[in-house]
Amino acid sequence: MKPSLRDFFDSMGDYLAAPGPESLEALYARHPGWEAPRERVSLYGGFVLGHVRSALDKVFPLTRQALGQDAWDGLGVAFTRTRPARHHELNHLCEGFPAFLADAAASRGVAPFVPALARFEWTDFAVFASLAPVPERVERLTANPTLVVLEHDFHVCAYVRARGAATSPEAGAELALLWRHPEQLKTLYMAATPPALLVLKMAVEGLALADVVAATGMAEADLRATVTRFGRDGLVLLPENGGGR
Amino acid sequence: MVTYAQRHGLKPLGAGIGLRRSFYAELPRTGRTLDWVELIPENFLSLGGRSQRALDACAERWPVLPHGVGLNIGGPDALDDDYVRGLSALVKRVDAPFFSDHLCFSRLDGVYLHDLLPLPFSEAAVDHVVPRVREVMDRVGRPFLLENPSYYARMPGGTLREADFLRHVVEQADCGLLLDVNNVYVNARNHGYDARAFVDALPLERVVQIHLAGHTCYPDVIVDTHGDRVCDDVWSLYRYVLARTGPVATLIEWDQDIPSLDAVLDEADVARAALREVAGR
Repeated sequence: MKPSLRDFFDSMGDYLAAPGPESLEALYARHPGWEAPRERVSLYGGFVLGHVRSALDKVFPLTRQALGQDAWDGLGVAFTRTRPARHHELNHLCEGFPAFLADAAASRGVAPFVPALARFEWTDFAVFASLAPVPERVERLTANPTLVVLEHDFHVCAYVRARGAATSPEAGAELALLWRHPEQLKTLYMAATPPALLVLKMAVEGLALADVVAATGMAEADLRATVTRFGRDGLVLLPENGGGR
Repeated sequence: MVTYAQRHGLKPLGAGIGLRRSFYAELPRTGRTLDWVELIPENFLSLGGRSQRALDACAERWPVLPHGVGLNIGGPDALDDDYVRGLSALVKRVDAPFFSDHLCFSRLDGVYLHDLLPLPFSEAAVDHVVPRVREVMDRVGRPFLLENPSYYARMPGGTLREADFLRHVVEQADCGLLLDVNNVYVNARNHGYDARAFVDALPLERVVQIHLAGHTCYPDVIVDTHGDRVCDDVWSLYRYVLARTGPVATLIEWDQDIPSLDAVLDEADVARAALREVAGR
């Protein structure tokens, strides 16, 4: 690459890393005689910032609501300066935002539940778009390959289900399960319950229905109904015999 | 003159529309006439679930043409191996007769800017881009088209006319040209040149695909938003191009404020009528 072109890219990189009036003047200073109108060149800075903001707005609607517009705007600007777009797919730039928020929480007075909420919202999207192959048929009870388990100190599932109607989620340990329904292809979620964890354990460890009945003392019909229910919800994939061996 | 399409056995495909998220459920089931579908590879290389279901359903009915925004053909970074590998697999999966991206840069220092940023119209940029185009064609193994991007400012260091810059790149790389007619119109208005004279200066024998779209007019600039119907002036310029190229696969691009599927297909019907008219001459 010729030095003139290299210098062009370097100068644009410096400007687009932090678009604003000062960086725009610095860009022009590196190209004496450049006659392009500044308001036209600054469009590109606005576009690049706008793409990051629009992705954040789309993926984190409840986090934004919980933070309030001013705090959200400030965090968006600060996050953009970390140059998060390392992936060719636009939404993936959001992946690092929950960790960024967690790091920034103390210094910016962010409520303690907000990083967990952001992690939940990112996971909601990541599960929705998961590339994990989901088999059309399974030989035995199988955990949904898109399943993600989150552990946090707030009742985030109920807060999200209420679309953030409460001021904040209730405090308390929660294991959140998020998975993509294999037919509806939308993300489902729930706070883990003992029956859900039992069915997942059966799937992961390959436990037979009869053995679980024997070990737990549950009625076989109840256990079979539980497996069927979570199969219908897509948390686990059922073999043709319904998973009851 | 033998055209690029003829050399590569590429036939005019008719009028197509983009596979956008809001159409994932409805488009594969439409009873309306549609000749082909364009997809943005970035939306399918990394996103599973509904994206993949829609892609498979469309590929069963229509030819599918990948049109990327992230190849970064003009940028300083080396081509993204993962991206090119995924793109190559996608092109083969849908058995696309060709694929395309923009003559621009979109990545700096490993950071995707998610925008189509213009290059200086210079010999240095031509020398930089040409081997990268050849590398992409070698790695993907299908004909490749470069699109003329819209731009709002001439970048510093330019020494060539825009049409000459385009010509040098596509001729030296021996690739095809995706002529975005709306971009020609927007650029001509924003930079004060004659759109038809610009078209006449292009290597039209390399045009394999055309894009049509709407734009947004502001007091001092027209922005290529893909957010409206194709305006009358762009339809007129489209017919001017077709009179010189003959029928060319034509896409209606609508990416913002996306209306109903029927409204987009209505626009494709207008393009199809123009294609039939020129084919019947």
